[in-house]
Amino acid sequence: MKRKTLGLWALAGAMALLCVPADAQGPIRIGASLSLTGTYAKLGKNQHEGYQLCIKDLNAKGGVLGRKLEFVVYDDQSTPATAVRLYEKLITEDKVDGVMGPYSSPVSEAAANVTEKYKKIMVAPLAATTSIFRKGRKYIFMVISPAEGYLEGVVDMAAKRGLKTVAVVNEDTLFSKAAAAGAVELAKKKGMQVVFSEAYPKGNTDFSALLTKIKAANPDVVVAGTYFDDAVALTRQMKELNVNPKMYGVTVGGDLPQFYDTLKQNAEYIYGATQWEPTLPYPGNQEFFETYKKDFGHEPSYHSAAGYAGCLIYGEAVKRANSLDADKVREQLLKLETKTIFGDYKVDQDGFQLAHKMVTFQWQGEKKATVWPDELAQAKPRYPTPPWTQR
Amino acid sequence: MIAQVLISGVLSGALYAMVALGLALIYGVMRVINIAHGPLLMLGAYTTYFLYSRAGMNPFLTVPVAMAVLFVVGLLLQRTLVFRVVDAPELSSLLLTFGISIALVNLAQLAFTSDLRAVEFITGAWVVGGLALSKPRFIAFLFAAAVTTLAFLFLKFTRLGKAIRATSQSREVALVCGINVARIHLLTFGLASALAAGGGALLAVIVAIQPEMGGVWTFKSFLVIVLGGAGNYPGALFGGLLLGLVEQLASLFLTTQLSEVVAYLLLVVVLIVRPTGLLGGRST
Repeated sequence: MKRKTLGLWALAGAMALLCVPADAQGPIRIGASLSLTGTYAKLGKNQHEGYQLCIKDLNAKGGVLGRKLEFVVYDDQSTPATAVRLYEKLITEDKVDGVMGPYSSPVSEAAANVTEKYKKIMVAPLAATTSIFRKGRKYIFMVISPAEGYLEGVVDMAAKRGLKTVAVVNEDTLFSKAAAAGAVELAKKKGMQVVFSEAYPKGNTDFSALLTKIKAANPDVVVAGTYFDDAVALTRQMKELNVNPKMYGVTVGGDLPQFYDTLKQNAEYIYGATQWEPTLPYPGNQEFFETYKKDFGHEPSYHSAAGYAGCLIYGEAVKRANSLDADKVREQLLKLETKTIFGDYKVDQDGFQLAHKMVTFQWQGEKKATVWPDELAQAKPRYPTPPWTQR
Repeated sequence: MIAQVLISGVLSGALYAMVALGLALIYGVMRVINIAHGPLLMLGAYTTYFLYSRAGMNPFLTVPVAMAVLFVVGLLLQRTLVFRVVDAPELSSLLLTFGISIALVNLAQLAFTSDLRAVEFITGAWVVGGLALSKPRFIAFLFAAAVTTLAFLFLKFTRLGKAIRATSQSREVALVCGINVARIHLLTFGLASALAAGGGALLAVIVAIQPEMGGVWTFKSFLVIVLGGAGNYPGALFGGLLLGLVEQLASLFLTTQLSEVVAYLLLVVVLIVRPTGLLGGRST
């Protein structure tokens, strides 16, 4: 009889242990969908590695709220529709404690509908489109500079050199469109003339006709709102069709080491914009760069750094809120002003990024040299870009 | 400007024709719509990439190698899987080849990763009187034209080619005439895969290589053979050039975004007005 009671007690005890809410002692589980395959795979993977390094560092310091962190990551294949499904799954089935943003603006825009519905905080470190944050959403936070500012450096330098005409092309997706629109607006403001402007569909590989039209318009400057594949294809075909602007700048993709690996010397003279460079004098940046290189066997891109910083910022806000409750964390994220390895963070009431700054670089002798803004510049731009036939 | 665009159209059209000829062959001979045609092309492109980057081979010389490799892959696919659906309703072959296509793309992603690869071999252009002739595209064009011509000569004059055409016209009669139809099917699939691989090998020099590059080529080849007339081999050539030109002209006079819309609208119009294709259906 006594033994039986003991057994029952033991059983009850074991059940009680099992019934303790998992979040009281288990790790904090953060869900995210990332573009691990598909068009944005290259960039999405870097972001993923940023996330991984971030929780490694946070866990090394004892985690957050006394709990370790871990990521639950799925592959959204670079498509917004898949990401929507995955965030639903993360929140309703996996019941994660928090979420982090996916890669790219179009995917974040789609995912934000889900996270808002369930009132989940989503720090979206790789969403750069202004409109995402101007829809009255309460729980989404921006880390990087908006898309509209990507081509600012190239346009500004061109205007300073007295260049008059510019052609603007872009992939017809949310981010690239905004980058192009920002360039058009800025160019007009600086008194330049936009002589050609056209969008092309995602996945386009043949730019012959588009570039033929650009060639006929003969602009001083060509700026392109691109991702990686199209930036490469566009550049190759510019050479094939002998299109020779005095300055040529692209947006995303142009800053990846693979951009140079793929195009080799044809990448020289091309301008690109970046949210971050390992050489920028931000606190902890150097160590981040070294550790990342050691852990993943390749250099980080700004996607890595933004992922890392976004995750740190979320962690910091949770710490300050001393809770995972969405409204308390939100309050902290709105108040927070900090400087990470990625630069400044401060958002307005919409969660829109105000403090972070873009830099423009140029590929010079196999390396990216920061050429804009002046206060961060390491080198003078090599200007003008020589014609393809004379390189 | 129009001349420049016409050049681009013909250059890409020859590639379309070559790749689509493979799809047309399989459809003509077996009545199988091969969704895996694009992924086979992708495998051809990877063959070229690895021969170029690992063994330092001239990418244009890898074209026959890639074709040979994919010829064997094609034989294996036909021998193990596709022969099962030859006499089944067309939906079965669609589903099967769709499955093969998904499997190939994902295997490629596993084996080669989804990193973008490029064969940076010959870049740039010959500039002649204001017109630029892209070097890689022009050489690819020459190769595509040569391979397509050889394929036509093969079909037209060799015993085997005649046997393929005979099977395409009427399997029963071919069988009665003593043609080993199963063997012809096998060869056809191999040959078609080789044509896709040739296209892939040439594309490798032009565009970036990644596991999902093939998909769009399945659709384009499909468009080409419907335009030209399904199962009609010269139709593939005609359809290919037509598609190349239509795409380029549409992006010149409209926008790049509308070029595909125009191409597929053309498809709809052709299907309504001349459902057997512009050059007529399967030639008998």
